[in-house]
Amino acid sequence: MRWISVIALVIMLMACQPEDAVPTNPVTEVDFNVSQATLLKKGVLQGIDHVASGTAHLYDNDGKKFIYFDPFSSQNGPDLKVYLSKDVNASDYIRLGPLKSTMGMQAYAVPVNCDVTQYHYVHIWCEKYTVVFARAEIK
Amino acid sequence: MKSAIAVVIGLIQLTAVFAQSQSVTSNTFADAAFAIGNHEGSLSLLFIHNWRLGANKKLGVGLGGRITSYLGANQYYITAPASLTSESTSPLIFFKENVTANIDSLLVKSPQITSVNASINIDYRVSAKVIVGFNIDAIGFSFGSKQKGNYINGYQGKNTEGNPTSFNVLLISDNDRGSLNSELYGKYLINDTWALKAGAQFLFTEYTTVTEVQQFPSANDRFRNKSLLFALGVSYQLKNR
Repeated sequence: MRWISVIALVIMLMACQPEDAVPTNPVTEVDFNVSQATLLKKGVLQGIDHVASGTAHLYDNDGKKFIYFDPFSSQNGPDLKVYLSKDVNASDYIRLGPLKSTMGMQAYAVPVNCDVTQYHYVHIWCEKYTVVFARAEIK
Repeated sequence: MKSAIAVVIGLIQLTAVFAQSQSVTSNTFADAAFAIGNHEGSLSLLFIHNWRLGANKKLGVGLGGRITSYLGANQYYITAPASLTSESTSPLIFFKENVTANIDSLLVKSPQITSVNASINIDYRVSAKVIVGFNIDAIGFSFGSKQKGNYINGYQGKNTEGNPTSFNVLLISDNDRGSLNSELYGKYLINDTWALKAGAQFLFTEYTTVTEVQQFPSANDRFRNKSLLFALGVSYQLKNR
């Protein structure tokens, strides 16, 4: 019976794989020129049971919309994504992509067919474990 | 001399076991197995009555029942109905490629489903000590608590909840419904009553979301996870005839 326990333990250890974390190096380039863009909304990011801070901005750059974090800092975690949602619980949301870095300015393009007037919250969301790390109400 | 006697005794025992297996016309057994995969696992209890067929009674075909309890963490469920995954419900969808554009995901945080199903077994006695076989659930029901899920469709998503699909039935390919277990296994007979069992478990589990979160190309609330697990267990022979 002992060898069965050993095999089971080995299999369980194999099942526990290291998880990808977000890069910690600051992002050096953003996808648009902030100085030429129009600020539509902004809000302060607050950590939700995690350490995070900064400001989320919604910019219009020649018809294209961007969420722009500056300044920004967040606790690291697995599979962190940036969500733009209609309500505080993100029951209906748009995924803007994986979080690019845990610190420094960074920008995320909003899909062209998204009516941004309907979306009022930006989330840093651990998708794999369905945990919100930080949230900002933008207005 | 001692080793020669031991070999003779061993051969007599082996012949006796094999002779017994050839005379058995039916047998009833219970299996207990645990299976494990990537952040998921299951416990199952299977009860089967087998009829031994063929001149040497090596082939067994049986019916019975199985309880499977599945537990996982952060598992991706995908669009279940064949009408979406294959755009057809014909039996020929077994040979058809999935239509990936129609398949969305539901990420379930803590899937927990218990299913009770009638099962079919087929096995073959390879030697006096070794049996290989396959079993599959056919029809039954499932239960479990409501779980949080994150519906993902490209860049859009919804945080929702889902319940285990209550009714299970084995059909063909994605026409299946609910939670169904199957195993491809080998058994090593330790003695007349006990055997060790190992194999691959292919387990379908299914959630139905509280609303039809998928809307395109048509409304859908059923999402399925197909788990390939490594199974280990024991088998107990209840009756031989």
